[in-house]
Amino acid sequence: SKQLGLRVAEHIEPLIVLMNVGTDAGKHNSELSYVTCGSLVKLLNTRHNVRLHSHDVKYGSGSGQQSVTGVENADDSNSYWQIRGKPNRPCKRGVAIKCGEAIRITHMKTGRNLHSHRFNSPLSNNQEVSAFGESGEGDDLDVWAVQCDNDHWERDEAVRFKHVGTDVYLSVTGEQYGHPIRGQREVHGMKSANQNNWWRSMEGVFIQPSQEPLRHDEL
Amino acid sequence: MKLPIISPFLTCRRDFYQILGVTKSASIRDIKKAYRKLALQLHPDRNQDDPKAQDKFADLGAAYEVLSDEEKRKQYDAYGEDGLKEGHHGSHNDIFSSFFGDFGFMFGGNRQQQDRNIPRGNDIILDLEVTLEEVYSGNFVEVVRNKPIAREAPGKRKCNCRQEMRTTQLGPGRFQMTQEMVCDECPNVKLVNEERTLEVEIEQGVRDEMEYPFIGEGEPHIDGEPGDLRFRIKVLKHPVFERRGDDLYTNVTISLVEALVGFKMEIVHLDGHKVHIERDKVTKPGARMWKKGEGLPNFDNINIRGSLIITFDVEFPQTQLDEQQKEGIRSLLKQGSVQKVYNGLQGY
Repeated sequence: SKQLGLRVAEHIEPLIVLMNVGTDAGKHNSELSYVTCGSLVKLLNTRHNVRLHSHDVKYGSGSGQQSVTGVENADDSNSYWQIRGKPNRPCKRGVAIKCGEAIRITHMKTGRNLHSHRFNSPLSNNQEVSAFGESGEGDDLDVWAVQCDNDHWERDEAVRFKHVGTDVYLSVTGEQYGHPIRGQREVHGMKSANQNNWWRSMEGVFIQPSQEPLRHDEL
Repeated sequence: MKLPIISPFLTCRRDFYQILGVTKSASIRDIKKAYRKLALQLHPDRNQDDPKAQDKFADLGAAYEVLSDEEKRKQYDAYGEDGLKEGHHGSHNDIFSSFFGDFGFMFGGNRQQQDRNIPRGNDIILDLEVTLEEVYSGNFVEVVRNKPIAREAPGKRKCNCRQEMRTTQLGPGRFQMTQEMVCDECPNVKLVNEERTLEVEIEQGVRDEMEYPFIGEGEPHIDGEPGDLRFRIKVLKHPVFERRGDDLYTNVTISLVEALVGFKMEIVHLDGHKVHIERDKVTKPGARMWKKGEGLPNFDNINIRGSLIITFDVEFPQTQLDEQQKEGIRSLLKQGSVQKVYNGLQGY
């Protein structure tokens, strides 16, 4: 049975999921604890406590593309990203993302995809991570693989994002920008898997799988 | 002496199926759809002249709460309302706002027409991909919204900060005006993550770019109201059918033999029902067949449907003909040589 109520989590720690995670009348799957295809999420870097963020501000060096940063505040809609399938291979809405699956991470506000390429990042000289494309379509360097230990990407577990084209991990090491984005951290790609590349899903809109629409098969 | 008319709304043993207007075998989707439609109609804010509006609305909430829950529905079907083991949990407000958002009951006028001085948090727009099957039959999408909510915290904080002009006197007849940042003191707030389920309906006939707003489910604003969450429909391309308005287009390849002598076939439609097609005359390449009522339901009136338009193309045999077959065909078809030469492009 399903209770349609509010559940409060006082910490940023694992959220208490709705109590009655049972099945509905009919064959209804429950993917409440997973990040699913089509969901909108904010991603928190667990080491530096900042959320993945983008905005209409371009890098002053490197590729000159739209910049991607880490921000401290939790209430900015520019920190929402949509989880989508690879180019020309849409994932099925509501289905949990598998560990190892290749996805695109699309910035909600600007429609540009999380992207990396062989340019240097401005503050730390790691690999630049930018937001690229138009209306959700960019190129093959928009693809990232979700790395985690279980079968599927769990909402309350930290995962890594490995760039499929260049094999770097999405990371934050703490360098801060000045004006006009004072305090925001640099987000870049780095070769090694370490404490700096763990990310957790936080706020968001998590889509559940739907039943198939009604069929009227003739006898 | 008149017999009292027993309305489904006013007795203690309520007929929840009748209240929702669904049959006893209604699916969970039918129940959600019925609730959503009636909730808009019966909301007390919309029926301020009806003294029974509150009761009817409460009954609607109770009906949905029981029939949408597998366990409770079983108990109700077997023992009636009296047989329900527990009392009703969850206020109707929770149920209502899972379909419409927190401020969804502010009918009659946009939120924008409210006090413009109240700052608002950002809106969130989620592109919701839907299949043509869902556009045809309708569907519900359940989502879990996890959002930051401003909660009271100990202490005070600065709020409503603004620039003000201060005038200071430097001497007789000499004044200086300076700008100063002035803030009020407000109770402290902190952001806490809370979670709730929302129900998004994919209505039959829905069109690309249509939006379903959930008021107040967007980003919070520390000094004001939260913004909205809007689901924007994106209809996916279909491998068999192409949508144009309420009409559906499809292509069928038939063999040269079928084109000449006729054929029978079935097209499987979006909900699995079969469309029967029969020809006993010659079918030319590019010929179109119009099947009325086999298109999509119209969003504004689902009893009206568009048409299914089928365009035929012809596949010629792959093998070459020998001289005997060629003679046979010449005598069978009795069509003289045509060989008309003309400009087929005409500027295209």
